Amino acid sequence: MLQAETIQILCLTATSGVPLFSRGSSKQLPFSVIGSLNGVHMFGAGQNTTLSSCETDRGGRVMWRVFQESLMLIAVSGNSATSELQLRRLLENTWNCMVLVLGLEELGNLRNVERLKRELRACFRLIDRLLGQDDHEGMMGELTQCADCLLTPQPTLLQEALDAFTQAASSEFGCLLVRGRVAAATEKWWRLAPQEVVLLSALVRSLSGMSSCDYPIYLPHGSPTVAHRLLRFQLLPGVDVCVLCGPSPSLHQVESELVGCFWSPLTETLRRCLEQGERCLPPTVNLHRSTLALLLINRETRRSVSVCAPPRASPSPPDTAVPLLSASKCWELLRLFYVFAVTRYFSMEESSSTPALVDPPLQEDFSQGFSHSPVHCYLVTDECKCYGLQTPQHQLYLLMDLTVPTFALRSIATQTLSTVTMAMGF
Amino acid sequence: MFNIGSDGGISRSFSKNLEDFDSIRSVLLYSDLEPEWLDDVQKNGELFYLELSEGEEEAVLAQVTASHSAATNHVRFSEKEVEIITDDARKRADSGAKGIPKLKRLAKILRRKRRPSQRRGADGKEGVSSSHPASILKNQAGQRAGVVVQQQQLKEVCVYLNPKRLGSSSPSHTERGGLLEALLGVVHRSGNCTGQRGERLVVHGLVPHSPASKCAQILIGDVLVAVDDVDVTSENIERVLSCIPGPTQVRLTLETACPGGCVETAVPRQRASPPVSQLVRLLWREDTAELQMSIGHIPHIVMYLSLKLDSESPHEEQEILYQYPMSEAAVPLKGVRGIFLTLCDLLENVTGGQIISSSLLLKKQLVHVGYWKEGNNLLVIGLPADRVPLLYLQTVIEGVVRTLKVMYGSLDSAFCEVENGPQLDHFFCLFFQQLIQPSRLFDGSGPSSLDVSGTLFLDGLPAVRWLTLPPDIKVEIDTVLSDFESSDFGDMSEDFYGMRRLYVILGSCLFYKGYLIANHLPKEDLLDVCLYCQHYCLLPLASEQRVGQLVVWREVFPQRRSQPSPLVTRLGYSEPQGRYFLLIVGLRHFMQCVLLEAGGCASPAQGSPGPDCVYVDQVKATLLQLEGLDAGIEERLAAPPTPCLSCADWFLPAAAGRDRLDAIGSSPVLSRLAGAIKPSSASPGGRGGGRSLFGEAASALRGRRPSPQRSLSDSGSEGQGEGPGPSPHSTPDSARRLPGARRDSLGSGGSDGSAGSGGLFKIPRLKHPNPFYLGSLRKSLTERETDDMQSALKLTAGVENTLFHYVLMETVQGIFIAPTHREVAQLSGSIHPQLIRNFHHCCLSIRAAFQQSLPPRDRRGADRPQRAGGLGPVKEHGILFQCKPENWTDQKKPAPTMTYWVIGRMLLEPVPQEFYVCFHDSVAEVPVEMAFRLSFGLAL
Repeated sequence: MLQAETIQILCLTATSGVPLFSRGSSKQLPFSVIGSLNGVHMFGAGQNTTLSSCETDRGGRVMWRVFQESLMLIAVSGNSATSELQLRRLLENTWNCMVLVLGLEELGNLRNVERLKRELRACFRLIDRLLGQDDHEGMMGELTQCADCLLTPQPTLLQEALDAFTQAASSEFGCLLVRGRVAAATEKWWRLAPQEVVLLSALVRSLSGMSSCDYPIYLPHGSPTVAHRLLRFQLLPGVDVCVLCGPSPSLHQVESELVGCFWSPLTETLRRCLEQGERCLPPTVNLHRSTLALLLINRETRRSVSVCAPPRASPSPPDTAVPLLSASKCWELLRLFYVFAVTRYFSMEESSSTPALVDPPLQEDFSQGFSHSPVHCYLVTDECKCYGLQTPQHQLYLLMDLTVPTFALRSIATQTLSTVTMAMGF
Repeated sequence: MFNIGSDGGISRSFSKNLEDFDSIRSVLLYSDLEPEWLDDVQKNGELFYLELSEGEEEAVLAQVTASHSAATNHVRFSEKEVEIITDDARKRADSGAKGIPKLKRLAKILRRKRRPSQRRGADGKEGVSSSHPASILKNQAGQRAGVVVQQQQLKEVCVYLNPKRLGSSSPSHTERGGLLEALLGVVHRSGNCTGQRGERLVVHGLVPHSPASKCAQILIGDVLVAVDDVDVTSENIERVLSCIPGPTQVRLTLETACPGGCVETAVPRQRASPPVSQLVRLLWREDTAELQMSIGHIPHIVMYLSLKLDSESPHEEQEILYQYPMSEAAVPLKGVRGIFLTLCDLLENVTGGQIISSSLLLKKQLVHVGYWKEGNNLLVIGLPADRVPLLYLQTVIEGVVRTLKVMYGSLDSAFCEVENGPQLDHFFCLFFQQLIQPSRLFDGSGPSSLDVSGTLFLDGLPAVRWLTLPPDIKVEIDTVLSDFESSDFGDMSEDFYGMRRLYVILGSCLFYKGYLIANHLPKEDLLDVCLYCQHYCLLPLASEQRVGQLVVWREVFPQRRSQPSPLVTRLGYSEPQGRYFLLIVGLRHFMQCVLLEAGGCASPAQGSPGPDCVYVDQVKATLLQLEGLDAGIEERLAAPPTPCLSCADWFLPAAAGRDRLDAIGSSPVLSRLAGAIKPSSASPGGRGGGRSLFGEAASALRGRRPSPQRSLSDSGSEGQGEGPGPSPHSTPDSARRLPGARRDSLGSGGSDGSAGSGGLFKIPRLKHPNPFYLGSLRKSLTERETDDMQSALKLTAGVENTLFHYVLMETVQGIFIAPTHREVAQLSGSIHPQLIRNFHHCCLSIRAAFQQSLPPRDRRGADRPQRAGGLGPVKEHGILFQCKPENWTDQKKPAPTMTYWVIGRMLLEPVPQEFYVCFHDSVAEVPVEMAFRLSFGLAL
């Protein structure tokens, strides 16, 4: 039996059902179960029926997806907190990550299964990162498909440095990441598909440890068959800069000639960015003091900012019966609230760049049933109050503590939205 | 024993001491006829008898005529029998003495003829389709379509007769015109002496509004030759007519003076009467095939599968214990039943939970499949995703399972008995029709009928729609019901004869037009009864002027009684092991459901007893007694809605560029409000209410500062230049949680004195125990206590009333209140129905959020662990919607928008309640708090 609170991803060849890998839970599912899970779907396919997902009364879920008619991915969760959307994103991200590492041609070529199995090991690190929910706290990108950003006090300074550095590396795609969040990126970088931006950030995070590296990648949407080189340099621990380029220049050349001269004058600035920590907003932006967490999505540029500000153990109300929420709990709640709001009311950010995935609606869209468009929603639970609002340009998800009167939520939310967007031009 | 009462012997003995009875009961007894439904009682004792009131039934017949004359191939009739009758009748004309037994035979035939149109045979063992001769229609079959010109100048006219209509009212019909005049409406004045043999029945006149005049084909001067092929003369006409046992259609043969004229009428005429809903025909088990075919392209299925696969068995589909429909729609889903079986087994092993749902894509159509495992068998129901959202599939399945358990005791006994097959087919036919094409079922029965989400939501609530009534009426109803429940039937009760009672009346509930108006049943029993009624659409049925008579009888297995209660061991008392029977009797708009117990105190039931005439008659008498209260209830329904409702359209400015001063001066809201109230001013209270409301609003208007919220939210409608008010955005809530003090401030918050709302809540407690009673509101209305009334009528503060819709459910009692259909219909408009649809759809989501946070329900038998890690218990959930008028053509100006909240709140204290409300955005927090507080005002 699958352990509770775990998710397992199974990968098989779609036609023959040969298991390729299984990641996730420490205890693997027995082979017979994997075979049955695959067999059920295959049986349906033989009857012109596509099995999409199922759910148990304890919240366990299984979801099937076939990609490129060659590979089948199955996600099994024994965790009641895992929503259908999360599993779906996980499967999409896993597939994209396999393409990113191996390229589409390799995955479509199933003649040598043993070789594919071996090659797929290269993705494990990234897939494990997608699965491991604890070590990427505060990263919402995998779920929202919008790049997690860091808003710095002096964005132009970093932007100019990055643009110059990228140009010098004879590339147009450059990106500066602070703790895995995009602090600055060139214009071309933003033109990549949002899923790619998110995955590249994850990839860079998974590569941290080395001071620099040269990594061949395929862009799942941009160039799934032609590989590019991802050059990554660690400027400070937690601060990375990367560029996407062709055969030249060499890693050594860029590292020795360009990195130092472009980035050493900015060390102080970068250090300040690091100090910002998980608060992705500059200290000048004041949030309401009851704010526990916040997620702001720019629907046009597909970028997001997320902040977690768990209540500091302030001495003033020592006798509050409400237990203080930990940061990880806040992230968890914010994620759940996002899923709740987006699956029921707000438009899902299904970008047009993935028409293949959208084409057959394997999920029902509850919000289609509304004759009028939902613009705000809120929830009051035992632990916190949540407020979500959607404008043509933005989506804001706000987690407040229970001391805030419910009727004040709306004004706080709209004020927060205007504060952040006005101040930062986000 | 008492069931012999049906043969009329006992009734006759009762008629001796007539004076002991009140008029209604005596009428029932006086009528010597055996009950109409007697022939429809099935072998297993079950009965489902539905008879429309006259007007409706005629329309049905007309429709049937029209539809069948086109396709005559499946109309079968026994020509032979008819022939014999005519022969008999002729012989009788020669020898009058022998006539009587033949007349009896005629009566029998007539009764049999009635059946096809009122086909209700609950178990249909005789084979529904094969015994579908539809012999009423035989005159329509092919060569005899419509009015047929026979030999020379004969024409045939079908009229609908209902002898019960004569009923008790006038025994005087024996005096002059006799039945011919009273029943048929044909005036015949015999020439010299009445006793003359064989005088031709010349139509000398027609009684206005009688069947004869309504059909418009019987002309003065015609001669009535035969009734249903029985030759009639002035001598035998009375006897022939008196043989008509119940409401039916008879065929009159007339010799007419103008043979030319009737050729034209040979075309089957289309009545102008409103079409009778498909529902009634479905309940009569007509047209099921046709209805089923019309949804053939939409995949849906119900299967009961055995998980124990016996591989040795040679049968191909032996694991399918039951399946519906057999049509094409189910084929693909049936083909993949292996998936369902495997998943059920697999997921239990993999995740340790029972599968509850799965989604699959069939021919580009998303289908949700719900599961229910019981023992070694698995119930699988597949439904298209666009009809039932996944969020609510679970509730739907639970409803079906519970209904089946109530009807049969368990799923196994429901599906594994072969003889239940036809009944289950009918059950699921109704189930799918209601979900997939409700519009077809309830054509033209109100604006909300197309609202699938609404049906889903309201039917899914574990509660029954309640109608609040003024106290005097309520007391009277309760008294009448209590009288009935005391089983004190005088000398009709078994006590009178020193016998043991057949049944103990456990309780009953009373519906009026589909609203529950009195309930003397425990909550769980009420829900069981209500589920049955919902599945058979009895509630909407009764809401229209349809039911002439409805009698339902069946054994039921109330869930509360079949499950061992935890209290049993503690109290040392267990309820008697008895059998339970449900008796539903409907008359016009009233419907009473009675739960009877056999065994225990009463004598144990033997075999499968059918409905007992005495009990049916007693319920009928109760209903007739209640009929006097009709007017009072109607008045309540016609009264202006309390609390007052607004129509969404009033808030959407018609023209964007309107001058603001104008907009305020002639606020569309106010004028429409006044207009809406005036038409309903039949009661003086209503008019007073309207006037004073309007007056108050208008006077307040003068000093009105347009609320900044409005100008913010209704972009373009009013001026934008307002300075920010004290709260720059309107705020949607009620619950203000004060730091430190952990109370939810439900109504107890600091806003008591504000907005002059104190009055509503200072209303003294009523003597009447009913918790949902709105009486004080009504009283203040009728007594014109205007001060109270203004605050009471309007839940929301401010100048304008902004409440659009609400649903309040009281979980303990199992009832909910919502604006009545009529109140909703009064608020016509283009956006308002949309808004209500949206409201219901949204409520599905809100309620699903509440449900998932509730403690685990062990309805599945297994202990479900609390879902850890979720968002946690949700107490309140609100969504703000924005709506724009459709087809906004003005390019220059942005379309005006209207925003409104839909908020749901679940309360566990002091009594578990769920409250759903929909109101315009411009309300400040205080009135919303009032809206929530109203729930307390109602429930106190």
